[in-house]
Amino acid sequence: MADRTATVHPDIDDDGGLKRSITGVQLFFYTLGDVLGSGIYVLIGLVAAAVGGAFWIAFAAGVTVAAITGAAYAELVTKYPQAAGSSLYVQKAFGNKALTFLVTVSFLSASFAASGSLAAGFASYFSELFNGGGPPALLVSLVFVAVLVLINYIGITESVVMNMLMTFIELSGLIIVMGIAIYYVAQGNADFGTLTDISVSGNPALAVLAGVALSFFAMTGFENTANVAEETIDPYRAFPRSLIGGMIVAGIVYVLVSMAAALTVPVDQLAESDVALLEVVKQGILPFSTDLMETIFTIIALVAITNTTLVTLVTQPRILYGMAREDVVPGVFAKVHATRRSPWVGLLFSGLVVGGLLVTGTLVTEAGGNLDLVNRLALVTVVFLLAIYALVIVTCLKLRGRDEDERAFRASTPLLVVGLIGNLAILYYAIYDDPSSLWWCAGLLAVGVVLYLAEQLLGSKSEPRPGTASRTPEGDH
Amino acid sequence: MHVIVATDGSKQSLAAAKHLKSFADPAKITELSVVAVIRPLASVAFADDVTEGADKWPTGSFREAAESAVDTIATVFDGWGPKVSRRIRSGSAANEIIKAAKQYDAGLVVVASGGRGLSDSVLVGSTAARVQHYAPCPVLVVRPAPRKPRKR
Repeated sequence: MADRTATVHPDIDDDGGLKRSITGVQLFFYTLGDVLGSGIYVLIGLVAAAVGGAFWIAFAAGVTVAAITGAAYAELVTKYPQAAGSSLYVQKAFGNKALTFLVTVSFLSASFAASGSLAAGFASYFSELFNGGGPPALLVSLVFVAVLVLINYIGITESVVMNMLMTFIELSGLIIVMGIAIYYVAQGNADFGTLTDISVSGNPALAVLAGVALSFFAMTGFENTANVAEETIDPYRAFPRSLIGGMIVAGIVYVLVSMAAALTVPVDQLAESDVALLEVVKQGILPFSTDLMETIFTIIALVAITNTTLVTLVTQPRILYGMAREDVVPGVFAKVHATRRSPWVGLLFSGLVVGGLLVTGTLVTEAGGNLDLVNRLALVTVVFLLAIYALVIVTCLKLRGRDEDERAFRASTPLLVVGLIGNLAILYYAIYDDPSSLWWCAGLLAVGVVLYLAEQLLGSKSEPRPGTASRTPEGDH
Repeated sequence: MHVIVATDGSKQSLAAAKHLKSFADPAKITELSVVAVIRPLASVAFADDVTEGADKWPTGSFREAAESAVDTIATVFDGWGPKVSRRIRSGSAANEIIKAAKQYDAGLVVVASGGRGLSDSVLVGSTAARVQHYAPCPVLVVRPAPRKPRKR
């Protein structure tokens, strides 16, 4: 038999080659890129509408709750460095198959809704390239999703360098916004009173809470870093630093960007805009050509949204793959393409579900339903994720004392309790504020249940017959 | 000569390993490395289609999937002669195979090219094509037989 040489350093093979490939720095940028793209470009106007000039407070609060949740993830990832993420932790803590299924399907649903919201946001920015005209938004968002599915199938997403490059581009857009604000402030034009203005009628605390629920969408995405847990070099050190560090940096950027937007653009104008960050550039504060800056900024925004949507679209087939391997959903989702090694059925299916959300949303709007698709899908994502995050924090506390590893990161218990309360408060408010989002949640959960029933009714009990690994009767096409 | 047998967990990579064994002279091979590359950012970082009964996946670990695939390929060469090493790498598949070839000073790289369909003739960037272009040594690309995969 072959020998498996014992090694001194666990991450380096006997000839000095790296066994694992993701460094702490790459993980940091992966987190940052994941978090930054989701939301800030798309959502800032909606948050401004909910709160008023002081909407940076909503971002600060959302960021804090999310970063604490990130600490819980860091603890769990360092204890169980596998790719499965929240489902795995919940299974370890509760050992309840129904609960694990619910968490997995919720996570999948959140990811679908997030992709839909991002795709709709992409279409908003895209139309800016044509001065608000151009092809219909629905067509743009559907083509966007289709192209990303194809890119995923080919496997271009695998480049770590590409990922870092896109993150830098995302950051550059936000730095432009901050630069404009600094220039504006330096000229002495800024009215800092805006930053404390909660202009919405009614209880200011509730207004901020409404903003937090929306701004929370901008912080999501960090949970996808569990995807690369297994391939991270020295995860015990890298994960807490890169994950929490990335979230804190993203949080600081968000607070500064929202202050910058509030200072430079009248809040009602931000609130009405689908492309609120572009409004900052449109103000023409800088002494360069505004048209050129607008185009550059629009392209940066498109790249940012693309980067985050790519990660969500990578995650969905992966979740389906894991579930199919455990016979929870039909075995077709466990099929990988013979050459490309990509789970093409899962990819196609994810693309169709996201496309379905976009079409449904557009139909509802056209039927006269008062619906902002970006807003609605973002809230649906947030509702799912808040529930999952709260459960993950509980899981983290429940798993204390089990599988302890002295190298694992340990989050502060009082902080976790604060994070749990925070998640639940935002969740409660998000549902209270807009109960109709629950219908969308139910619809997405139904997709998971249908897949489960399909496997139960049609799936073979998958005896390990020789040569037919992961093949089910309906899997043969 | 150090020979690298690459596997992406596909059946075709198992066929490639068997093909090498079918004609090569084990006395001329000093060492044989079975290399699998995990792709951390891909949807499915590694899928093992060569190990029988590997359709269960309780741990959710792609690394274990890669290990079991490498083990299965390595058993093809049990008792054949050369020392067999099992190696798991991480990153972009073509890059890592080429790097491994340089690092181990390989005299031959064996890869599978599974494609018969449209996707491989139309879409560029397949692993086998890139390895052929940039490997520092001869490359054996084992393509699928028209009907059934070649067996010994």
